[in-house]
Parts: sequence; C-alpha cells; structure tokens
Amino acid sequence: MTSLLTNGNRNSQALNLRGVDPETCTIVFKNHWAQVVKILEKHDPLRGNGNTAGIGVGGSSLRFGPIPIDEASAVQNYVEHMLFLMMEEECGQSGAMGPILEFVVSENVMEKLFLWSLRREFTDDMKIEQLKMYEMLVCQSRQPLLHHKPILRPLMMLLSSCSGTATPSVEAELVILLNQLCSILAKDPSILELFFHTSEDQGAANFLIFSLLIPFIHREGTVGQQARDALLFIMALSAENHVVANHVVENTYFCPVLATGLSGLYSSLPTKFEVHSEDWHCLQREDWVQVPALVQFMNSLEFCNAVIQVAHLSIRSQLIDYIYNGFLVPVVAPALHKLTVEEVMTTTAYLDLFLRNISELALLQIFLSFIFLHKHENVHILDTLVSRINTPFQLGTVSLALFRTLIGLHCEDVMLQLVLRYLIPCTHMMLSQRRVVRERDCYSMSAAKFLALTPVYSSQGLSPEFQKLTPDYILWSKNSGNEGSDEAILDLSGQEYACIVGPGKVMDIGYLQYLYEAREKISLCIKACQVWSAAYDSEDPPPECICSGSGDDRLRQSTPSHQPQMPGHHTTSDRLFPSERSQHLELEWDNSYDTGMSPDSEPGSLFSKDAPLVDPPKHIQEMRKNAIMLVKGSYIEESDFQDDFMAYKLVSQKDSLDTVDAVLSKGGSPEQQTVNTSTQRDQPVSNGLLTSLPKNEVELKNKMNSSLSQPAGTPENTKGQKPNFRQKASGGEEDDIMAQYSELLKGLGISAEGAQDAKGDSAELTMPMEEDDVDFNAFNGEQPEQEKMSPPFGTKNWAANNSSVTRDKGVPFTGPFISVLLSRLENMLDNSLHVNLLLTGIIAQLAAYPQPLLRSFLLNTNMVFQPSVRSLYQVLASVKNNIEKIAAARKDFSTLVFDAKQYLLHRDSPHSDPLGPENALWCHNGDGSRTQVRLGKQTRGALPVPTLPPTSPPLPPRIPPYMRNSVFAAVLFTEFLKELAATAQEHSILSHAPLEEE
Amino acid sequence: MNPFWSMSASTGRKRSDSEEKSAPGEQRNSPSRSSFGKKQLPCIPKNAVPITKPMSPSASAPSTNGTHASYGPFYLEYSLLAEFTLVIKQKLPGIYVQPSYKSALMWFGVIFIRHGLYQDGVFKFTVYIPDNYPDGDCPRVVFDIPVFHPLVNPESGELDVKRAFAKWRRNHNHIWQVLMYARTVFYKIQTVEPLNPEAAVLYEKDVQLFKSKVVDSVKLCNSHLFDQPKIDDPYAISFSPWNPTVHEEARQRMFMHRRKPDEQTQKVSGLSWVKPGLTQPFSKDDSALQT
Repeated sequence: MTSLLTNGNRNSQALNLRGVDPETCTIVFKNHWAQVVKILEKHDPLRGNGNTAGIGVGGSSLRFGPIPIDEASAVQNYVEHMLFLMMEEECGQSGAMGPILEFVVSENVMEKLFLWSLRREFTDDMKIEQLKMYEMLVCQSRQPLLHHKPILRPLMMLLSSCSGTATPSVEAELVILLNQLCSILAKDPSILELFFHTSEDQGAANFLIFSLLIPFIHREGTVGQQARDALLFIMALSAENHVVANHVVENTYFCPVLATGLSGLYSSLPTKFEVHSEDWHCLQREDWVQVPALVQFMNSLEFCNAVIQVAHLSIRSQLIDYIYNGFLVPVVAPALHKLTVEEVMTTTAYLDLFLRNISELALLQIFLSFIFLHKHENVHILDTLVSRINTPFQLGTVSLALFRTLIGLHCEDVMLQLVLRYLIPCTHMMLSQRRVVRERDCYSMSAAKFLALTPVYSSQGLSPEFQKLTPDYILWSKNSGNEGSDEAILDLSGQEYACIVGPGKVMDIGYLQYLYEAREKISLCIKACQVWSAAYDSEDPPPECICSGSGDDRLRQSTPSHQPQMPGHHTTSDRLFPSERSQHLELEWDNSYDTGMSPDSEPGSLFSKDAPLVDPPKHIQEMRKNAIMLVKGSYIEESDFQDDFMAYKLVSQKDSLDTVDAVLSKGGSPEQQTVNTSTQRDQPVSNGLLTSLPKNEVELKNKMNSSLSQPAGTPENTKGQKPNFRQKASGGEEDDIMAQYSELLKGLGISAEGAQDAKGDSAELTMPMEEDDVDFNAFNGEQPEQEKMSPPFGTKNWAANNSSVTRDKGVPFTGPFISVLLSRLENMLDNSLHVNLLLTGIIAQLAAYPQPLLRSFLLNTNMVFQPSVRSLYQVLASVKNNIEKIAAARKDFSTLVFDAKQYLLHRDSPHSDPLGPENALWCHNGDGSRTQVRLGKQTRGALPVPTLPPTSPPLPPRIPPYMRNSVFAAVLFTEFLKELAATAQEHSILSHAPLEEE
Repeated sequence: MNPFWSMSASTGRKRSDSEEKSAPGEQRNSPSRSSFGKKQLPCIPKNAVPITKPMSPSASAPSTNGTHASYGPFYLEYSLLAEFTLVIKQKLPGIYVQPSYKSALMWFGVIFIRHGLYQDGVFKFTVYIPDNYPDGDCPRVVFDIPVFHPLVNPESGELDVKRAFAKWRRNHNHIWQVLMYARTVFYKIQTVEPLNPEAAVLYEKDVQLFKSKVVDSVKLCNSHLFDQPKIDDPYAISFSPWNPTVHEEARQRMFMHRRKPDEQTQKVSGLSWVKPGLTQPFSKDDSALQT
C-alpha cells in the first residue's frame, strides 16, 4: 500500500524527512517541479498559453511522436520524490496549508500531472499507478488534501477515467481508493459538500465516488466487500445528510441495483441440493459457505440489511420497496412454486436461511408480509407452505424448519396468522369454557395428565441390575439426612433448584432441567410479547372481531396496495379454487402431500395447464434486466467528470488527428469547444443510463452521447456527423431513455421499450421459471399408508383423517397450521427421529407462548373443546396407545427403547457434541436431561447437519430398521411429555406473576 | 426479585401412612403404575412445629420401582409457587410473606396494622401449610408472640383460621385469603367462640380495659421486634434498627425500581406490526410497506 509506483525504486525513497528544514523541502519540491514542467511543456501540444495553470489552445500544431522513455522515467522519478515531500509536509500554522501544498494548489500540479499521463498512453498500468498514488496521498498525507479543488478535481477525473471498461486489476485499485475516500468522508463530512460542489460547477448534482461504487455492489470477493463497506460509509452519512439521501434516491440506481441484483444473484443459485443426510433440514453456515453463489447472495443480502440499518429513511423505504417488488414477488414467489419437490424444497430452505439472517426489522417485515399476505396464483404463500409440512419427503422437514424459524421470532403477526386468529373466535371450545381460558392451573393438573401419558413398558424386561445402570434417575434416599449431598445435586444442576422430596424417593433429575428450560423459554417469550398489541385471552381481542369466514377478506383488504396485481391469471385459478374459504378448510386435514395446490385436483393436469407460470409484470422484468446488466459491470452513470475526462482524452488524441480546436479554460473546465469526435476506441460505453447534462457542456456532451449510447462492441464512426450534434441538443434518444429510467426509479411505470439494450441478459432471468419437467412421481410414489394408523384414541370420531370430507363453514376449526402439526404428531411413530425433533420442538415453542388462548388450547387438559376439535392431549393419547400396542406386540420393545436411549445419549456425548462443556455436565445426570439438551438445541435451530461423526457407534444392531422410527419416537415421546408438563407447570407460575417481578 | 425461591430437600418430615390421591382423573391412563400421582408426603402432626432435624430414612415407604419417578413433589412445589405468586399479585396491604428456605410448606410473615385498635402493631407470624395441600386442612397461622385478641390462642399464638375456612376447597381457597383474613381480624373484632375468652369477654364488657390490654400487647410485640427469629432459617424475617450503611442502598433501589420497566422494553426481542384493536397482521401505520 505504501509503494508509490509500480515500477519505482521505492527503497531510495524511504528517507526520513523528520528534522529536515521545511524550506529546504519546499525548494527541492519546486526544483523538481521546474524540471518536470520543462519536460511537460516540451511535449505539450497546447503550449502557448503561458505558464498559467490552464491549458489553452495554441494555434501551433506542434507535432510530436511518442515521448522518449528517458524523459518519461525522469518525470516519474521527480514526481515520486515530490509526492513524498508533499505527504510528509506538516500543516502550516493554525491549519494553513504548508508551502508545498500551497504551491501544488496554486500551480495546479496534480492536474498537470494527470494530463501528462493522459498524454502518454493511458494504459491500465498507468491508471493503477495513479490510483495508488492518490490512495497514498489521501491516506498518508499529514494535512487534509481533499479540501483543495486543484487536488480533488484531477482525482475525480482519474476516477471517472477508470469507470466502465476497467480490468480487474484497475477495479481492485479503484475500489480501494474509493473505500479510502468514503472512510475519509465518513470521518469528515464537511468534505462531502466539496464532492458535490465540484460537480455542481458543471450543473448537475453528482456524487461520483458513490456512483462508481454501485457496479461493485454484488461483486464477489474482496473487491465487492470493500465496495460494500465503502457504500455503507455513505449510507451512514445519508442518515444525517439529506442531500446525500436525496441524491441516492433520486439520481442514482442504487436501490434498484441492490434489490434487483438480489434477483440476479438468486437466479444463479443452485436449484437443487445434494442432500447429504436424511436429517438435513436447514442450511447452516457450514453448508452455505461452501456454495460460492450462495455466499455471494448472502453477502448482498447482508449488505441490504446493513443499508436498511444505517441509511436515511427515504433510501430505506425505497430499497425495501424494490426488494419486495423486485425480488420477493417476481422471483421468490415463483421459485416457491416450482415444479419439482427438490426445487421447491431448495427454495424453502433458502427462504428459511434468509429469514434467519435478516436482523433489520424493516427488512424482516417485508419478508414476513410476503410470506403471510402475498398471494401467488391466487393462493396465499402461507397456505402453500403450511400444506407442505405434510409432505413425507425432505420438503416436509424443510418446511417444518422454516416454521420453526418463524415461530421463534416471537412476532405477533406471525402467530396471529398461523394460530391465534383461529382461536380468537373461541369457537373451538364449549361456550362455558371461555372463562376457563384465563384460569391458571394452580395444582399442576395438566402436567400430571401429560405425564400420565407416559407409556408403560419401560420396566418390563429389564432386570433390576439393569435398571440400576440407567443413569436416568438418582435415588435420593442415599442423600437423605446429608445436606452435603443435596448441595452437590444443586451444584450439578447449576440452578438453585431443589425439591421437597421424601426420603427414599426416586426422582427424575432430568425433569428439573426441563423445568429450568421451560422457565427460560416462557420468560423470554413473555418479555418478547410485551410489545404485542393484544393479550389474546378470549376478551382482548373480543371473539367477535374475527368471525369465521370474514377473516380472509379482512386480510385481503389489508394487503399492501403496492403488490402488483396480475390480471389474466385469475380465471384458471378461480376455477381451481372455487373459493378461498373452502381451500382453507380443506387444508386442515390435507394429507394429499401436494405442494399447495388444491388437494383434490389432478396434479398432472393442474401443472400442465398452468405450466407457464406467471411471468412477473413487465416493468419488473425490465428492471431486472437492467439490474443484471448493472451487476455484470457495464453500469456507468454519466458524470461531468466523465466528460472532463473525455475532453482531455480527445485533446490528447487530436494530435494524431491534427484537428485541434478544443479550448480548455484555466480552471480546467471545458468551455465552448468544438471537437471532432472521430474514433473512440476504448472509451467507456454507456448502456443508456444517462443523467441530465451539464449546461455548459451540452455540445460536447451530445457528441459524446451519440457515441456513448451505442451498444458495446459496435462503435459507430461518427465522422462527418458533426453538424447534427448541435441540433440534437436536448431531445432525441437519450431523453427517452432518461424518461424511462426516471420512471423506473419512481417505481413500476416504465414503458416496454426501455429494455432493448438488455436482451442479451434476459435469457438468464427467465430460466428458472420455465422448466417443465414435472416430477410427479415423487409426489405420488410413496405415500405412507394412512390405514396403518390405529383409530384415534378415545371415542371421538376424528373425521379429519379423511381428507375428502368437506368441512362446512360452521365447523370449529383451529387453523391449518395447528391441524397439520397435530396430524404429523399423530404419525409420530412413522416419522424419522429428526422430523419428530423438529415437530416436538415447534410444539414446545408454541406451548411456551403466554397468550391464554394458545396456552389453554395446547396445555390445559381440562378444557372442554368442541367434539370436532382435536386437542394436543388427544393426539398424544393416541400416540401413547399406539406405542403401547407395539410394545405389547414385541416383548423386547422396552429393551429396544432402552438401547435407543443409550444410543442417543452416546451420540450426544461430549466427544461428538459440538455443544461442549455444558453438555459434559449433563451427561452425568441421565438420559432425560441429555435428550433435553438435544431438544433445546433443536429448538434453537442447530441440529448438526452432517451425518454422525465416525467416532460415534453405529445404530444398535438390535433395532430392526423397520422398527427404528417407532423406537426412537417412543424415546422422544416420553421426553416430550416431560417437556410439555414442565412447560405447563412453569406457566402456572410465570404467566401469572406480575411483570415487575421479573 | 425472582419469584422462585430455593429450598433444600426437606428431610424433616415423617412419611404418612395414608396416601391420598391428588388428582382424581390422573391415573386413568396408567393404571399399572401404583406409585405415580400419589401424594406420599406426610401430614405434619397438629400443634407441632415442623421438625427440622433429619429423620431416619427407614421410616420411609418402599421406594418406587426405579423407572418411574414420582412427580408428586413437583406438583406440590408448583402448587405452592402458584399460591405464592397469587399472594404477590394480591398486593395485600401491610402483609409480607416469605417462604422458608427449608420447606415450601412454611412461610414467614409479618403484618403491619395501620389503624384501629391495634394501630402500630407489627406482628410476626408463621404460616404452616399441610403437606397434602391442597387437599388437606386449611393452612395454620401462628403468631410469634400471642397477641391479645379473642381469636388468638394466648398460649400457642395460633390464630383461629378454621372458622373462616371450615373446609379447605382447592381452586376456591387460596393462601392469600388466609393472609387477608389474618389482617381483617385486627380491624373487625369477633368474639364468638373465642380462643382467648378473656379478651372476648373484655371486649364485650369493658372495651376500655380491652383497649389498654391491646396497647400493652402491641407494645410487647414491638419491643421484641428486633429479636432473633423464632425459627432458625435463612429466609426467616428479621428486623434490625435503621442502619444507613445497610439499608440506604436497598431503599434507593426500591425507589429506582419504578423506572426499570421502561429500560426493559427497549431490549425486548418481540415483534409486532399489528395495529392495536385491528387484529390484522402488518396493519400498523408506521409499517415500512406504507411508504
């Protein structure tokens, strides 16, 4: 970084100027400059304007060939030394410029040097050299430099020259310099004005360093990261400076590039995963860091999050708007409705990953409102997602993980839509029970009832010695009368827990841990729910506020108005879904494993009819095309520095063309000039993103634009068209383009013509939505037999198993989410261990919510519900019966369960468990607590994805594969009962304690 | 403060031979387990202060079969915790209670009488809860020093609670009601079937003398205020004279407490975009969607 020039002999410069007389330095500097000027003037085509700083037009047509190498390197050496002197110079008295700086400013040294480099071949190496030079100057100078226009201006021209067609190495240097500039800006916002003013001289407000960074937003690797960091500096600045905010919102494409860039990056994500193990259910960090495309996407998402966090409100809301309309609706929604299970699963996993990584509330809000309110193909995304929980494949597991994430947010809107709005009317319970909702379970009746569901098989077939080996329980009789032992147990649990236990009593130490965790969870939940708008206790909100049937309509009304309607697609959808309501109702017991379509529709026909899924609205397509082009690096915002640069460039080229008529004023800004713009070999090409033109450069500008607006790769020979330029002064093509883009910026009103120059990129965009290999075998192939399930526990006839039963509107209904969860729970014995862990984790989390409506529904075993309403307790009782049936059929069942317990215990042993020391403590206490920790980990969303580490023992061979699920489910079931009981017990205390007792 | 309190495992109670069912319906689903769901804790013999020294474990009933733990103790403990949180919620004027360290079945209390005949009285008491709670008798209230009162036994200091709670009914009767009753007794004096006939007769016949006896009794109680607690327990309530170095900070904290909730709401992790009263998701005005 400190190296001044790429090929300079740095070592000789490592002088220490401390103590050297400043005047000497100044003299040396001036001498060097005199030498440089000599060489410069010798080759200056515009010589004749005296030694003032400006470059005028001389009538002479001094011809010169290439600059001799020795002269070039002489200049270079002088310059290196000069810069060094300049950097080392201290501030003058009371902040005045030091003599060298003053000289530099008055002689316009930097600009002359820049012109000199233009005079020579302006190669990439030269650019890099100059960028490094400025970076060093800016970072290391002892006095502020950027306040001085003669320094700022050539810097801007240099930056401008580097935009567009730069090679990676130039870009790297450019971004480093921009990053430095932004960090200086952040420290000293007073410079900001200069950055704007520099350009305002020429008319339009401009903020070049910002615009230059935009193309790098989505870049991968260090360059992208530095650019994003730099942009964040400016975003933070915008929070306090409305000029910056306005500029970003009104004059740049920052937000559209950022938001629609997400779409572009999303389209390059893998559409399918190799799922490495059956227990995989969500993307963990270790997973996605191995997928470069995903890393890139996550970086950009993280950046959006950061921008929303720090930027001005206007930027934030514009960005959010674009993310909703430019990413979620047109990209994620169709992706969630792709045609194969794998693709849909992948999208679901992505969505879950995104949700878990968003921290900014405003961003989270649009993601949530997208999930909960948006309708794709006339079906709420939420309904689709909920119905997928019931798929027996990985998709079901991944969907469960998504809902675990959602429920863990403690978000009222989420809980309202998923569960509470179905409970508010209180139609699920007997009328007389309404007052019971808020009652507390003073005597742990519910806990007792849950625990009483523990299947009885455990002790059978186990010898007494064997029992002693089980670490589950400790005999307290050994400790009785010895307070020291009691203390030891207290220490073990790490809590100040102890229980009234009679001597000789056996007690489940693991249960203490369940109580402790339930307490933690409920306390957290209670605290979090303090921000909620209502208590949900059967009075607030009143049951009448959501009468069954009107809920959906209300919701539709509250749907944000900016969601684009998609006319033309209603007809098919309406036919498929005769009414919103019936769709809802059928979802409740939907066992048809569809992906959100109507359960009884023919899958094949359904998809073939609607196969060309909705293309996003045209304006969105346009926006995306453009954004992708921008991302791909061809983005250039027109700037006046660009023009300055072009002018200089032309000036330097004109020599060879022998038609010099450009006039450059002293300040360096071009005045009336006529330039023959002949060949523009390698100048930056604009794709039409032209902003307003500086007034005093209109003519030059027009010339430029005429060539700039040609698509890349087809340079047009503009020779001989000179007369036309003036007539085109304000009007013509670029105005159309301008108009279109300004419309685009205002959102969503653009006309179709705007995208002509982006056709090349459009294919990539539409790609993921147009696959038509319908993988329906996956849906229909291996449906688990429902018949296998034993009849529901108790005498109540559960019509729900029969998905073809159409519910009429009067039937009490606890909502599709609860229903699907319970129906999966009832199948617990068929579910894999991991599904059950997720499932029980979700229900346990739901049970931790303090809202009386939810709590009473899940945990109050004494509530009397309507006959058609299935309660958690009933479902658990049915599972218990099934377990006991299996246990009765197989004499060795209890042994198998014991083995399975041991296996789980071993699996979680400290050696193989990433949780570490915390677990080491617990593994002494018994299986109960171990599994508890396991559950706790579950609910926090961190089930280790990979398969078992090689050190852990294989499955106990004695468990036949077909028994595996039910054996593990039996282990889990017992633990789950404890967890629920503990939750119920803690509720009886916590949910009723005054808040200030926290 | 934390509504939880710690207790060591109590070793001081004998097992009762009579086991009582706690929840009528709870065994329906697991008939084969005999030990589950039964209260196995002993009654405290009446008129006896709980014994705090360990008893021999040999007196205990045979242990359960080792695979099913009994959750009975958890139920009892949580029932009492629930009672305690109810007491806190009631914010009974002038009454403070604190469960003992050694047993959740014994609560220490103090009552401040602010007006009436017993004005300025500060009476310490202990609540004994039967260990088959809530299915046993009503809790007992025993004053440390027998207050001169028709309903307080002049020997043992026990208050006649039974007259108010003849039959203790779970779900209907709560311990806070007992405490409330203990307070009311000093404001509305009853003389029917007294435990202290002398006080009752005096109150009926010679109120002046009664009053002076009450004043003496109050003085006596207050003069013993700084005594060591009668029962040796870390959580027993003890009074000490005002000592700025000890008490000032605590006093400050009490006044500080009011401001705390505001700070807490800042850190809450919960989310809501529901406009109060609307019951619709994402209906808040300031939601980002409305921009």
